[in-house]
Amino acid sequence: MKRIIYADNAATTRIDPAVLEAMEPFTKEDYANASQPYSFSRKAKAAIKNAREEIAKCINAKPSEIFFTSGGTESDNWAIKGCAFADESKRATITSTIEHHAILRSCQFIERLGYPVAYINPNSNGVITVEALDQVIAGTTNLVSIATANNEIGTIQPIKKLAEIAHINGAFFHTDAVQAIGHIPVDVNELNVDLLSASAHKFNGPKGIGFLYVRDGTPILPLLNGGAQENSHRAGTENVASIVGMATALSMNCSQMQNSQQQSSEMAELICSILNAAEVDYIHNGYIDGLKGILNLSFRGKDGEAILHRLDLRGILVSTGSACDSSSTQVSHVIRAINVPDSYAKGTIRISLGKDNTIEEARIIGETLVSILMEQA
Amino acid sequence: MKNKKCKSCGTELKKDWIALHRKLLDIDAKEFLCISCLADTFGCEVEDLEIKIEEFKEQGCVLFK
Repeated sequence: MKRIIYADNAATTRIDPAVLEAMEPFTKEDYANASQPYSFSRKAKAAIKNAREEIAKCINAKPSEIFFTSGGTESDNWAIKGCAFADESKRATITSTIEHHAILRSCQFIERLGYPVAYINPNSNGVITVEALDQVIAGTTNLVSIATANNEIGTIQPIKKLAEIAHINGAFFHTDAVQAIGHIPVDVNELNVDLLSASAHKFNGPKGIGFLYVRDGTPILPLLNGGAQENSHRAGTENVASIVGMATALSMNCSQMQNSQQQSSEMAELICSILNAAEVDYIHNGYIDGLKGILNLSFRGKDGEAILHRLDLRGILVSTGSACDSSSTQVSHVIRAINVPDSYAKGTIRISLGKDNTIEEARIIGETLVSILMEQA
Repeated sequence: MKNKKCKSCGTELKKDWIALHRKLLDIDAKEFLCISCLADTFGCEVEDLEIKIEEFKEQGCVLFK
């Protein structure tokens, strides 16, 4: 098999072998339905309890505030719809124009039902400022939802300050922390958020599992109705193996966080230094103090999709911030929102480095990029 | 349309190769490379490019119609 360099860790991550090992017994011998009252379910029940405690510890929450979901998209949908429908007296939601589509599409859904939504624009670094939120928030605002870190450009938002503005105005605050959890320290009490979304496959856990943190006392209706699982807040038979895998992965990533951040930072700097040495004309999108592993780069006069495929042919896997939709090149809503000039925007790629990447791989990525960009057509 | 030839080796070009050249190298190109010369340029196998062509067609890319 051809060697690959996987540099799309913001899309998904490789499941850690230790995570798989922790999950295995619950896919084989201990496969019981955790909600059943018989003795065979005890191990599954205990595993879920332990996982909930472990995850709560990682984000400084109470175990009773962690609700398991099928992933980030469900958590985001639940936060937006569940909060909107829970309080008919305050119907407004505020979010930003650079949120993940799980938030934006959920907001568009409640808008169609008559719930007002305001969309804040970021500044040119992709930051949602306190001043911007202050201008639109009102006494009718029920929920403010801003991602902890942007999935395309890696900008880390001033969540603590934004949550403070929300609370002063009597609103609740949700943060989509899917891209941040397991990569930067996240403490729900320090940030003072009321709800927080997470997804395991972004931090070397399994796909199809995530959680929503809901602070005690936050009014929210269930998104999924059915059985009494998750304290009657989220129906559906518990995905025991994946819940265990998620807890193991989060715990591991949190303990390795400092080293991973340092390594990601060095790799990103190396790629940029190779581009700079070759005098490549590009913009590094996003705030310089964003997520260390995300490098969102726009190359002047280039085509991001062509760069993606050219790198793919050399075994290097990245994302693009612009894609051909069969008739024209569509620039992502995030790149548009931060006003990247047209001459650069279409040439946008996202390199996202993870704990499995090496300095040598970063060097190969940088050098390969230069050779592709400098090639005469 | 007059048959076009690879600007590097002179091989007669197929329309998928022209589309691939435009897709991955230069959308505004007037002269093109054959699939073998494209593979040399990209540092990959011809087979990799044949797979890409099929994928672009499945995605509905208008260049390959």
